[in-house]
Amino acid sequence: MSQVPALTEGNSDERVTLAALFTEFLKVSLCSFGGGLVWARRAVVEQRHWMSEREFADTLSLCQFLPGPNVIGIAVCVGAKLRGAIGALAALSGFVLIPCAVGFVLGALYLQSAKLPVVHNILDGVSAVAAGLLIATGVRLLMPHLGRPVAVLFASLDFAGVVFTKAPLLVVLLGLAPLSIAVAAVETGRAR
Amino acid sequence: MSSPSAPVTLAMHLALLSCISFGGFPPVLPDIHNFVTANGWVTDQEFANFFALAQAVPGPNMILLMSFIGWKVGGVPGAIVSAVATFGPPCAMYFAAYQLSDRFRDAAWQIIVRRGLVPLTIGLVIAGGTVMARAGDAKWQGVALTIAAAGLMIRTRINPLWVLAGGGAFGGLGLL
Repeated sequence: MSQVPALTEGNSDERVTLAALFTEFLKVSLCSFGGGLVWARRAVVEQRHWMSEREFADTLSLCQFLPGPNVIGIAVCVGAKLRGAIGALAALSGFVLIPCAVGFVLGALYLQSAKLPVVHNILDGVSAVAAGLLIATGVRLLMPHLGRPVAVLFASLDFAGVVFTKAPLLVVLLGLAPLSIAVAAVETGRAR
Repeated sequence: MSSPSAPVTLAMHLALLSCISFGGFPPVLPDIHNFVTANGWVTDQEFANFFALAQAVPGPNMILLMSFIGWKVGGVPGAIVSAVATFGPPCAMYFAAYQLSDRFRDAAWQIIVRRGLVPLTIGLVIAGGTVMARAGDAKWQGVALTIAAAGLMIRTRINPLWVLAGGGAFGGLGLL
């Protein structure tokens, strides 16, 4: 298992530089209209191969069960994985510092043009697309798990709980997580 | 108008909320709204404007929203303190949790927990997109655009910026 070469194991002579971490998460942050997850997955999994699809989903799941903005958690975890504490700091700085400054400036400009209906219409179009991109990111993350019907079932229940009931997120998660983990334990027990 | 300690009070409140903001910041937004309006720091209208603004510009939306509020309360230092209070505590937790989970990566219990939790995580991502799609006044054109964008992203590796730009053009032409 641990001898599988590859994507996930960092090789010392191809050590990821702090600058690479900084700039990659800077890009992710600057691109992330509506939500950074789409861009974080694309950069980390598809382009840089810093994590596999499964590892990314594992990391995201770790972050989702902690408080705070999940995408920042991804930056911290990817940085920590590749370069330890200093890597986490580099990725975090890339994600937060410059984008927040840029956001301020753009925000001020936007306030002045917000009354124009065309700006409002453009934002409507962008947000419809952003929703589609987020759905696609979830579908892509689901693909490695399609061979496991129980995983698809729990993903669907979770989806339905959030979309169709008014239950708070925490209630949905705390209701489903023990069940889902119990099923996984039974499966693992059988596999032995 | 605010007292000198207002930015500190705001930052402490944000730091506290960030420690319990499971599922990201949207679930604690109502609380922040009530807190800052009750203190008379930000009006309803201003809060709504800040929110729209934070959504519309790229970057970490919720941190931006908090820094807009902090800015109103205490100028640029207020903005910086609010931003740090928003992402600092969770980041420390992410780092510690990652180190822990990495150390026990191959432990049997952790593999089981991961197998159990990952489907829920994925369900949440798809739900997030769906909720977002329904947030605007969803006419069929908007829904079609969302579905088309999702299809394009699933099937191709096209740069999402083109898809977003396409959506913006579509809306700008008044087709939504």
